[in-house]
Amino acid sequence: MNVELTELTRRFGRTEAVAGVDLQAGPGVFGLLGPNGAGKTSLLRMMATVLPPSSGTLRLLGRDPGSYGPRREIRRRLGYLPQTLGYYPGFTVAEFVEYFALLKDMPSRQVPRAVAAAIEQVGLGDRARKKLRTLSGGMLRRVGIAQAIVNEPELLLLDEPTAGLDPEQRVAFRTLLREFGQRSTVIVSTHLVEDVGAACTEVTLMDAGKIVFHGTPGELIAQGEAHGVGDAPLERGYTAVLAAARS
Amino acid sequence: MNMTGEHGHLPGGPGPLDVDLDRVWTGVAAGVWCRQPGRAERLAGRLLRSPGLARALLTTPSLLLGWVIATVVVLGTGTVVTLSTGTPLVPLLAPAVAAAGIAYAYGPGIDPAWELTQSMAIGDRMVLLVRALAVFGLNAILGLVASAASGAAAAVTFGWLIPMTAVCALALAAATLGRSANVGVLVGLAGWLITVLSARAVTGQFSAAFTSTVLIVPYLIAAACCAAIAMYATRIPRGTP
Repeated sequence: MNVELTELTRRFGRTEAVAGVDLQAGPGVFGLLGPNGAGKTSLLRMMATVLPPSSGTLRLLGRDPGSYGPRREIRRRLGYLPQTLGYYPGFTVAEFVEYFALLKDMPSRQVPRAVAAAIEQVGLGDRARKKLRTLSGGMLRRVGIAQAIVNEPELLLLDEPTAGLDPEQRVAFRTLLREFGQRSTVIVSTHLVEDVGAACTEVTLMDAGKIVFHGTPGELIAQGEAHGVGDAPLERGYTAVLAAARS
Repeated sequence: MNMTGEHGHLPGGPGPLDVDLDRVWTGVAAGVWCRQPGRAERLAGRLLRSPGLARALLTTPSLLLGWVIATVVVLGTGTVVTLSTGTPLVPLLAPAVAAAGIAYAYGPGIDPAWELTQSMAIGDRMVLLVRALAVFGLNAILGLVASAASGAAAAVTFGWLIPMTAVCALALAAATLGRSANVGVLVGLAGWLITVLSARAVTGQFSAAFTSTVLIVPYLIAAACCAAIAMYATRIPRGTP
């Protein structure tokens, strides 16, 4: 298992953003769904080793991120796209991706080729030498994805990766996700249920810091067959599970 | 997004079947887009044994050319004023400028990609340490040059190095505790201002803040305490209790 979470909890003052989450994930694409404030971003940040848990245990890629050596090893094999991507406006696309490749401790000889491959994978080859300040929001999102995948991560964590992408780019991005999911664990936090239906092998639904559903997209659809609300089968499953969790 | 070109066939006719055009193009693009590190970055990479750390060092806001020029202008002005009026302005300015530079070596509030850098294999603490030492060293050199150029006595020329260390440590501790570079700048400058004004109030001279030997031990204790606070604030949190 690449991700093993046991009773994982994160508190911010009196607020329990993540409340005793248990989760295991091997290779594949996992969708993390839930309303705003459900705890998805906090959970993803803990898995990205950015935010330490308040309690519970976390093992990533078979290692404990609480110790320096294993944490560094995890981070070498990790790709992370935060919800809000901060960037350096004066960097070019290639410079930005290269910067994070170097910070991921990739061997410097491998970096130019890895940067080129990542930029091509997100379809920004024609913008590689453009300054980030000149790019649109959707392009910046793709730059963020490029830096996340530049090291061919074994664990890829993406927070709202398709925000700002147009439909054509989203379709291409799902293809990329499926490719990565064949060899890596990809966890995608999203509000867009159609992304989950198209790309994810499993889906986890969070509400109020807890996991209220875990299964395949088909199983989530089945939950909404009786009394779900929504235009699409997955939306009906989503609303039905949330309603049941809150009742 | 992903280029999925046909393999092995060139336009206009069949080509060798073992040619992967994607791979060829990636190799070409890697060569074209590859950034050539400058001399300073190569040297830093060799010294630090890490190209990533060297790159992070050279992106330090307070080591960028604009900041360095501003520092030179401030200290140069101090030198001119000292030469013309006899007031030792360089030793008063140098710790303040260095404290601001050290605070801006810290990410939050100043580094837009801070969240991302926290998830990197080269840890933010190591980056901070290297950046802080480099900023301190550069400011010490610039300050010493300015101080020597202003013709001050040796006690003045070197006397401010220990106060500068304390003020820099204070700025760093405040920045890391407050998780904001701007907080570090404010606290560092305020700390130095209070020290200088207190020295003036007690002895009647501003220069007592950096020439009084009585203050050396308190400065060193303050520097050590602040360094310990900065170390604590940037400690690696346990991932599991």
